[in-house]
Amino acid sequence: MTGPARGGAEDDVLQRIPDVAALQAALDDVDYLVDPGLATALFLAVRLPQPILLEGEPGVGKTEAAKALARVLDTPLYRLQCYEGIDAGEALYEWNYPRQLLGIRLAEVRDARLDETELFGPEYLLRRPLLKAIEHTGPRPAVLLLDEIDRADAEFEAFTFELLAEAAVTIPELGTVQATHPPIVILTSNRTRDLHDALTRRCLYHWIDYPAPERIAEIVRRRVPSSAEPIALQAASAITRLRSLDMDKPPGIAEAIDWVSALTILGVERLDVRAVDQTWGTILKNRDDHDLALARGAGWLVGDEHG
Amino acid sequence: MADPGSALAVPTVDAAGLAVGFSTALRRSGLPVPPDRAARLAEAMRLIPPHARDALYWTSRVVLVSRREQLPVFDAVFAAVFDGMLDPADSRGDTSAPPPIGGEIRTRPTAKDERPSNAAASPQHPTMSPGGDSEGGAGPEREAILAMASPEEHLHDVAFAELAADEVAEMRRLVRKIVLATPTRKSRRTQRTPHRSARLDLRRTVRAAHRTGGDSIRLIYSQRRTRSRRLVLLCDVSASMEPYTRVFLSLLQGSVVGAGAEAFVFSTRLTRLTRQLATRNPDQALARAASAASDWAGGTRLAESIRSFVDDHGRRGLARGAVVVVLSDGWAHDAPELVGEQMARLSRLAYRIVWVNPRKVAVDYQPLVGGMAAALPYCDAFVSGHSYRALTEVAAAIRANRPSHPERQRGPDNATR
Repeated sequence: MTGPARGGAEDDVLQRIPDVAALQAALDDVDYLVDPGLATALFLAVRLPQPILLEGEPGVGKTEAAKALARVLDTPLYRLQCYEGIDAGEALYEWNYPRQLLGIRLAEVRDARLDETELFGPEYLLRRPLLKAIEHTGPRPAVLLLDEIDRADAEFEAFTFELLAEAAVTIPELGTVQATHPPIVILTSNRTRDLHDALTRRCLYHWIDYPAPERIAEIVRRRVPSSAEPIALQAASAITRLRSLDMDKPPGIAEAIDWVSALTILGVERLDVRAVDQTWGTILKNRDDHDLALARGAGWLVGDEHG
Repeated sequence: MADPGSALAVPTVDAAGLAVGFSTALRRSGLPVPPDRAARLAEAMRLIPPHARDALYWTSRVVLVSRREQLPVFDAVFAAVFDGMLDPADSRGDTSAPPPIGGEIRTRPTAKDERPSNAAASPQHPTMSPGGDSEGGAGPEREAILAMASPEEHLHDVAFAELAADEVAEMRRLVRKIVLATPTRKSRRTQRTPHRSARLDLRRTVRAAHRTGGDSIRLIYSQRRTRSRRLVLLCDVSASMEPYTRVFLSLLQGSVVGAGAEAFVFSTRLTRLTRQLATRNPDQALARAASAASDWAGGTRLAESIRSFVDDHGRRGLARGAVVVVLSDGWAHDAPELVGEQMARLSRLAYRIVWVNPRKVAVDYQPLVGGMAAALPYCDAFVSGHSYRALTEVAAAIRANRPSHPERQRGPDNATR
């Protein structure tokens, strides 16, 4: 069930993250706000240790979770953005062919001897994220983010998991690289296809819900410290109201941050109809959505009809 | 595991027992929980002692759930087991839990036989011979899908709705063998090519040079590979389509297995059936599909179903650049303008939309049904697919490339395409 090198988390990690509450507080310190659900999920991913698959609407902070975790552990984050047709050469390693050719030419010109072993030495190796994460020397494991794994082919998915389960890479010309600190693996998916059963079986799973207005406001305040006090919550409520409409591209947390930044630059202290009319473009990025929101009016958006 | 945590909320239950009991309860409710998950849960509960409901909830959810669709079942079982302060061991006799998926084979009711079984073939649609649809697509006609000669040729022109019960089984077998092919597009992967005009592939060139000791370097060129576009089938399974869906489902199953298509069915709501239909055993696949979608032969909410497809699947990438085939008669409960709106969204994502409407074959057919009329301007091809022979048209429409001029001038007048 667990790989050879995975007898639980290392002492150093154990001290940094003794329990869920400590992880939640630590993530808070690096300005990433989590609810107990996500904190539990990340905690188990680190401590079991076990890869974790994160899913959720676009813009709920899936990628950000991996970055924040890397900051908490003070380790590097290796990110592999998956796309259709990605292969081992782009994910694991590749020989630097142009450089090898150049090396051969140079040796010829200088009339020097060039052994094959030199040509396949570490300096000619291009390390891609998977190899970097496995080679990572510590003291704590690196965080490996496989972003949008559903975009890669099913074969690539299987290959990756085989590799991570063994936590070792064999490069024929160099030998086997065994991970001393197997990476903490975080996967994200946008559900464009069903992931393979073998993958889901090996992973923990967490669905990130869209946060409540208060939490969005809190996130916005962290990101835009110069914003006026009430405006973050007002903007967050307005965004939540917008999301209740049937939109093509519902605004997310990123839009809330952009919006409040824009309002702050414009010197707006309180959200009103005029301010909204000036800044539609920061929250709605689709013509149909724009029409839909305009039909309800800026007054509805700022919650004016009660006042 | 030996130390179950001194401050457990439930006093005498040890972590392993709790984990196994709860996983069993979930499995009984149809959630696929592999046995090693229970062990993993016990391990997780050692790290996060279940002092409070929240801790227990999140721990078990993160470990045991593997997809979002499982969350409602998980929540219900969790509430039943723990909120009722039930000992998980007792829940093994829970009779109110839904039956396990695939455990009970439900067969769909089929339509009443409205035709004497000895009726002769009644080809209402005689003009469609496999080679005669050259305007539909530029694909080579020798790839005609009806290449297999069948002793049941008399069935080829019979409308699916008029098949007798025993003929349906035969037809399903035939239809399952149809191989649908979509147009190709450029992939990111490359392959070797002799053409000098292509890109020089350094990686392959150097690899080849190794073989010859690095001396005589032969340049190797590569070009982008082509790949078939994704095929997405949306099949209407409402009551009005019932006579046809018994055969169309086999078409869906055949293309999921043979062409890697994505299959969805809808009547009042949309259900993804790709996973269920991906089994090679057709009977098992159909049984799994029947138990996965709950609203067979209900009403049709066409606009709502397309909307839910676009929102939950299409926009995420499933429909982008894909050939989308809608099998429906266009009889819908929702307002035509809503159907038009959703079709517009779909057409912005898809490469081509093929609409298969078995009612089109009627002599006096006019696409006047509200939903159909609204959807038609967004369809690239409109075909009947009512009989085995008519499925040739469907295959040709799926294989067709989009015309190179970008303007899509469409409307009810080119319904004959």
